[in-house]
Amino acid sequence: MRTHNPRGWLFVLPVLVLVAFNALIPLMTVVNYSVQETFGNNQFFWAGLRWFEEILRSERFHAALGRQLLFTATILVIEIPLGVIIALSMPRHGIWVPVCLVLMALPLLIPWNVVGAMWNIFTLPKIGLLGYTLNSVLGIDYNMTQSPTAAWVTVITMDVWHWTSLVVLLAYAGLISIPPAYYQAAKIDGASNWSVFRYIQLPKMNRVLTIAVLLRFMDSFNIYTEPFVLTGGGPGNSTTLLSIDLVKVALGQFDLGPAAAMSLIYFAIALAVSWIFYALMTRDRQ
Amino acid sequence: MRKTALGVSILPTIAHAQGWGNVGQEAPQVFSWGQWWTEPLFSGFWMAWTRATLAFFLFVFGTILILTFIELRWPGGRERRGVLGLTTTRGDRLFVALLGSVYIFLAWIGLVGTILWAPLAISIVWLSFCFWKI
Repeated sequence: MRTHNPRGWLFVLPVLVLVAFNALIPLMTVVNYSVQETFGNNQFFWAGLRWFEEILRSERFHAALGRQLLFTATILVIEIPLGVIIALSMPRHGIWVPVCLVLMALPLLIPWNVVGAMWNIFTLPKIGLLGYTLNSVLGIDYNMTQSPTAAWVTVITMDVWHWTSLVVLLAYAGLISIPPAYYQAAKIDGASNWSVFRYIQLPKMNRVLTIAVLLRFMDSFNIYTEPFVLTGGGPGNSTTLLSIDLVKVALGQFDLGPAAAMSLIYFAIALAVSWIFYALMTRDRQ
Repeated sequence: MRKTALGVSILPTIAHAQGWGNVGQEAPQVFSWGQWWTEPLFSGFWMAWTRATLAFFLFVFGTILILTFIELRWPGGRERRGVLGLTTTRGDRLFVALLGSVYIFLAWIGLVGTILWAPLAISIVWLSFCFWKI
């Protein structure tokens, strides 16, 4: 029997065309723009590597990249352990399982800009539930539009609220796939809860947690909509993450050349980190 | 005083000799390779192709094409376990080599400058290292 059918490649063709139009051609254009200068009207002037030099040495870029890395690191440090803890405390049998799963999935279903708008209203000092409670009931001075600390706390809380569920669902899927025999053996040996977690649950969740970290890294590293709607990058530039800065350069200032150079550097970082994760994941399998 | 007056009187001649007479006139077209590589390939086209960027993509797609031919001729990807403890195929090694080269060039542009012969040499060394050991 023939197991290879070259006609199978025809089925891949639509995907290839789609990828060419929505990824390859735009990316090629960005590479072209990154070495040229334009004032509009599709007139381009060669600029060589000036934009790359400018961006790599620009303090504004360093600051935005620093904020981006800080944001990503903070949400990973919070969301991954929190997700595992919630997954561990969720029921594994009975009527409450679907209830918990649906509750967990709810934040994931809300469009990103709606999440930003929700949290914006939620934290308004005069009328927002959280803002009013903190300011007028508890007497804590909290105003996201004035204090960078408050803005950071809000952006991170919003991301944790929106995306911890993803980690929970992945970790939960890893947990329920552990056969009961493992737990019975642990019980016979008199293993403590911690040992069960350390030597059975954590190793079994290893793979899904790597995927969770990769997904959360990529999403948070490329995040734009939520912080843009929530704070618009302010107060000042304090929550201007890399993507927000990029859009400011490209569309606000119409500096297509520097913006293109910036996106390519951004792309190189994302590509390298994804490759490292991929390498770690495939390394485990061997 | 007389010297100054004399100097001032011949100034226009000097200026003219140095090219002031050409102001406002189109410079004569002299062929230069630098311009040939970097001028717009299709004037007014939004994708803004130049011969230099076209050559860059031809290089990248060329390497992928060569690897495809090698794969068709000797299938299996020549898998092996390299120094990083990863099992890699030819394609993986090409990817690591190209991505590493990107970082070598970016680091050079950021730290040193835009004369790129040295990072090119380092990248070629890195590329051979990737195909040899990783």
